[in-house]
Amino acid sequence: MSNFTELTQAFINLDEEKVYGLVQKKIAAGEDPVGIIKECNEGMTEIGKLFEQNEYFLSELIMSGEIFKSIMAKLEPMLGDVQQENEPSKGTVVIGTVKEDIHDIGKDIVVSMLRGTGYEVVDLGVDVPADKFVAAAKETGAKLVGLSCLLNFTFPELKKVVDELDAAGLRDTVKVAIGGAPCNEEVRKFAGADYYAKDAAAAVSICKEIYQ
Amino acid sequence: MDVLRNNRIWAPLYDAVGCKTYKLPGRDLPAKGQFQFHEEEYMKADEYDVLINDPVEFMLERYIPRVLGATAEKGSARANMAFLKGGMAQMMMSDIMRNRSIYLQNKLGMPQPMTGAFLAPFDVISDAMRGLRGILLDIYRQPDKVLAACDVVVNEIANFALSTADPLKRYPIFVPTHKACFLSPKQFDKFYWPSFKKVLEILIDAGYTVRAYLEGDWGPHWHHFLELPKGKVLCDIDNQGDIFKAKAEIGHHQCLTGGIPNSMLILGSPGEIRERVKLLCETVAKDGGFIINGGCNIPYDTKPENYRAMIDAIIEYGTYDKSIKHVPKTAEPGVKRVRQRMVTPWEGKLQELGGVMGDEDLIRRPWEMLEGMGYNWLWQWVM
Repeated sequence: MSNFTELTQAFINLDEEKVYGLVQKKIAAGEDPVGIIKECNEGMTEIGKLFEQNEYFLSELIMSGEIFKSIMAKLEPMLGDVQQENEPSKGTVVIGTVKEDIHDIGKDIVVSMLRGTGYEVVDLGVDVPADKFVAAAKETGAKLVGLSCLLNFTFPELKKVVDELDAAGLRDTVKVAIGGAPCNEEVRKFAGADYYAKDAAAAVSICKEIYQ
Repeated sequence: MDVLRNNRIWAPLYDAVGCKTYKLPGRDLPAKGQFQFHEEEYMKADEYDVLINDPVEFMLERYIPRVLGATAEKGSARANMAFLKGGMAQMMMSDIMRNRSIYLQNKLGMPQPMTGAFLAPFDVISDAMRGLRGILLDIYRQPDKVLAACDVVVNEIANFALSTADPLKRYPIFVPTHKACFLSPKQFDKFYWPSFKKVLEILIDAGYTVRAYLEGDWGPHWHHFLELPKGKVLCDIDNQGDIFKAKAEIGHHQCLTGGIPNSMLILGSPGEIRERVKLLCETVAKDGGFIINGGCNIPYDTKPENYRAMIDAIIEYGTYDKSIKHVPKTAEPGVKRVRQRMVTPWEGKLQELGGVMGDEDLIRRPWEMLEGMGYNWLWQWVM
């Protein structure tokens, strides 16, 4: 159907054993780990497209994240500092689930999709207070802060993060995206955020737009 | 008002046994919020065979000691006391919830939206046993084990549902569905639906109706409810689902509830709510089979004026006939066709006793009742 490499295609098919086997072979053959990651990134991007076309569902996104994580665990020790020079990340994103909410599934899917497609993600975890988002945005110079919210009583918390970014003078340089089951355009407007991501694929598109 | 969650937890029971699956307001969370479920891997990937071959061993030796922290050290004084307190607290909780239900119905005119609960077998295994990550890996790596385990859970969870249901069968039994919205239709058809359908059929045959909270967007899956007898399932359409599509696709066969986005109840205006209710009454409510509600529930932080506007608009646009008095229907008798599993069945006890001198049934029945209650108590911790 297309000209994907064998590894990329196996990744798209979520054929775990084949993927690990191929990665192992490439490592043994002394291939550049950055190249291997790139092939997986391409697989992840294609999986995002399949998700948008309703060919793949959340389970496939999660599974691809798991496979990607396993590969990175193998390759990361081999990367050292080389990666930064050879293949700088496409951009940095700060992400977390807002205060008083401990849901992590949706956030984790977005994190692995972003990492899988080549972005640097600072994952602050769950139950994250507003000042932590602000501090992380300052420290990393990220142009995007992603807020995950699964409980509708935390809508005010979304707004709080936006307001505090504003108070810290970061609002001109940092965009805010919200996501999670109870979110929609109405909630975005209430919070004063820039984007509402309806799913993980939308989150990737937002990053593309910001870091184009 | 649809009070969905406030009969769910009586925290002293959860403290008595050291339940790890919930974070509770005032204990682990700020006092004014809602409780939250905390997912961990309490069953290991290589333990499917134990569950499949011996559910009693699986529950008592593996799962319960991990989920109920106070029972972790088997046979210790602390663990024995935890089970004792857990049983006592359970009776107290049942009493509180029963009185609450009677009070709401008789004094305030608010019949309960459901009584009793269960989970789809796939959710039993994926929520509190394997966790989402675990179950998704399993359906790729050991699909047959997942299927066999779901089948084993069918009778256990059906018995649990029946043990918590309204004996007079006036109210539906509640089932929140959690993991379906993560699955592709192919995965759903293979892993989720067959065992879920079996449980639903057992409950329907027993004379009950079921209220299924369809979490997330069930659009790709809800056509399966057409396979069940008509009018037996009340489907909660979540905020992500399309209530108009649900009406067109299954509304002629099962009852629907929902239609007002939670964000509108929290952030919107009374005018918007009024318009929404009017629209729903003119479309989804046409020909009946619809209950207006938030997406699954009324959020805690709904603006009171929006709630008022919803009720007023429903009365204005949604009254079919003012002469109708609302009384719960009397249920059909039904047939219970699943056997209750017991840790120590009566036959074994009878042997121990070496026979009884009087009426055996008089001794057997309460023995089996308590065995069943005890065993079903174990299964509530998968919820």
